Amino acid sequence: MRLLLVEDELDIQGFLKHSLAEAGYQVEAAADGKTAERLAIGGAFDILIVDLGLPDQDGITLILRLRELGVRAPVLILSARRSVDDRVRGLEQGGDDYLTKPFAMAELLARLRNLLKRKNPSGNEATRVRVLDLELDLLRREASRSGQLLQLTPQEFVLLEYFCRNAGRVVTRSMILDQVWGMRIHPDTNVVDVHIYRLRGKVDSNGQQPLIKTLRGVGYVLKDR
Amino acid sequence: MSSKTGNPKLRSAAWRISLWATLAFAFGTMLVFVFLQWFVENDIKRRSDAWLSGEVEVLGNVAERTPKNRLYGRVVGEVAELAAREVPNKLPSESDTNDSVFFLQKGGDDSLQLWVGAGSGEDTLRAILTKRMLPDQPTDVRVKGFAVPFRVACIRIDDGSQIYLGLSERDELRVLNSLRIRFLLLWLLIVFFGFAIVFSTTKRMLSHVRKITEAASRIGHSDLNTRVPTTQRNDEVAQLGLTLNRMLDRIENSMHQLHTITDSLAHDLRSPLTAIRGKLEMSLSATSHGDQAEPIVSAIEELDRLTEFLNQSLDVAESKADALRLARTQIDLDELIRVMIDLYEPSMAEKGLQIRFQSTSSATIEADAALIHRMVANLFDNELKHLPAACTVTIRLKTEDETILLIFEDNGPGFSSDVLPHLFERRVKGRESNGHGLGLGFIDAVARAHDGTVTAANRETGGARITVTLPLVSRENIGLPIAVHAAH
Repeated sequence: MRLLLVEDELDIQGFLKHSLAEAGYQVEAAADGKTAERLAIGGAFDILIVDLGLPDQDGITLILRLRELGVRAPVLILSARRSVDDRVRGLEQGGDDYLTKPFAMAELLARLRNLLKRKNPSGNEATRVRVLDLELDLLRREASRSGQLLQLTPQEFVLLEYFCRNAGRVVTRSMILDQVWGMRIHPDTNVVDVHIYRLRGKVDSNGQQPLIKTLRGVGYVLKDR
Repeated sequence: MSSKTGNPKLRSAAWRISLWATLAFAFGTMLVFVFLQWFVENDIKRRSDAWLSGEVEVLGNVAERTPKNRLYGRVVGEVAELAAREVPNKLPSESDTNDSVFFLQKGGDDSLQLWVGAGSGEDTLRAILTKRMLPDQPTDVRVKGFAVPFRVACIRIDDGSQIYLGLSERDELRVLNSLRIRFLLLWLLIVFFGFAIVFSTTKRMLSHVRKITEAASRIGHSDLNTRVPTTQRNDEVAQLGLTLNRMLDRIENSMHQLHTITDSLAHDLRSPLTAIRGKLEMSLSATSHGDQAEPIVSAIEELDRLTEFLNQSLDVAESKADALRLARTQIDLDELIRVMIDLYEPSMAEKGLQIRFQSTSSATIEADAALIHRMVANLFDNELKHLPAACTVTIRLKTEDETILLIFEDNGPGFSSDVLPHLFERRVKGRESNGHGLGLGFIDAVARAHDGTVTAANRETGGARITVTLPLVSRENIGLPIAVHAAH
């Protein structure tokens, strides 16, 4: 996957390049709009990350200009601003995504994956998801582990489904709140942890290999190997 | 908006101004007419008195000179009849008999010597006898059988008898009455037209003011781009519009300044925070040993808390200046609370807390989803952090008129008395709280930004109560699209 990163803060550019490369992206970076334009036209990128505050021009202006020049790759917009510009909302509805700084790397990667998936939808949605010995029937809303049916509440099922769809990848509390409960909040209490704790009690019961792993300071991951 | 009873038209200034102006006008014209009427009445009276005095003198002369023989009655009667034809203000009488004028001669022994007029004259004589009369001074005399009094003048002649000439005031009153009716009709007409003119003029003028008010009230918290309508005329109303627009220019300018400041502050702090967070995550993934990871993990958590604090304090600061930018969508609070309870219930149960929810129906508000979500989460967090075990949180959702009340009640220890008066100020928190003390201040900020309020109090039965009121979307507007920004 070829990715163009447009970010003028060299500190941020540095760690993003490193982390994105680690996640398997081929990253090229630009620190201003001019360079970004040149690179975007020259190389065929699959996805772009554009910071809104560029030294020579506004990020949105750059994106609109690239669209005019025929660049079709989806864009993940990064912004440190407080207000969400109406033009950003427009782009959001046009299929691009938006992330406020500071962010968790896991969330950035998840959003990139979503953008790429939206661009290349992978045919029919599966009705069954399988991760190791965990199996989910999405139609009957039932989960079982090693053939044993798990007694889950509807909410717990949605939570487990989200984990399974992101098996092997880190998910943060914010991502869980956003995707499972549909709200972008940052509670300073342990609400999400208690849900995970309960789910884990049902999924990883009586001496089975624990599947849901806590990565402190980062989030959770459902092991897939 | 107001639910007060009463016709809004009757409360309008145009109505009041025209009412008072009409009252003053009506009073003034009434005074003029009353004066005119009085003047005319006096004039008529003076004329008829002059006529009476003159005629009674003539009749006295005739009576004196005419010998008292058989013809006396006829001669004097004839003269009296002639005089009656020259009565001032005479109107054709309904009957042939002359009932508007009488002539009466009274002897020295109060006997009726001569009578010319309708009826026998006995009643007239009796009426005259009860009245003391001075010569040359006509007086009103009421006679039995006549509805209208007579104006009577008298003269004493040499033979000791007295001559009375009476003129009915009927014709005079008829003239005055018709004048009065004409004046009244004219007065009503003038007052009506005056009212109509004043009302239409003030209404037209005040409709400009109303248009300005409507436009000004539409210019809400976030929408400062529009201006009130101005007119070409250079009158007071146009001045008002211009002044308002200049004021709006200044407000918009300072609002813009504030946004620039908070934006650049946010930007300048968030960029380094992003870099720090990224580097911390990188070094966390590089270390696999638990004891090395621990300080990095807690640094990331501190950093996230700092970020949230930055966001909330900028929100609070902006809302204090009524400058919070909102992206409004329609939110069903009932549904939102149910989802939140679903989210918070396990944590509450873990702490031994119970949640109860009372709500009757859906309650749709037009609000910024992200802010409302955070506000409600704050209310839950607040209970979760401060309540001791085995308490119950009761959440109630009530609609009252055009507002929705969201009430959080618990049976815990309540707010301590030293904190209660300062709850919504920044950086106020209980001693054991590990938050940054913005919680209630943030709730207040969000409610204010949505034209709502927050109150906090201790219940009489113990425990705390926080009440958030927000304006409800009227039923007919539910489902209408407003600048829709799809939530994820």
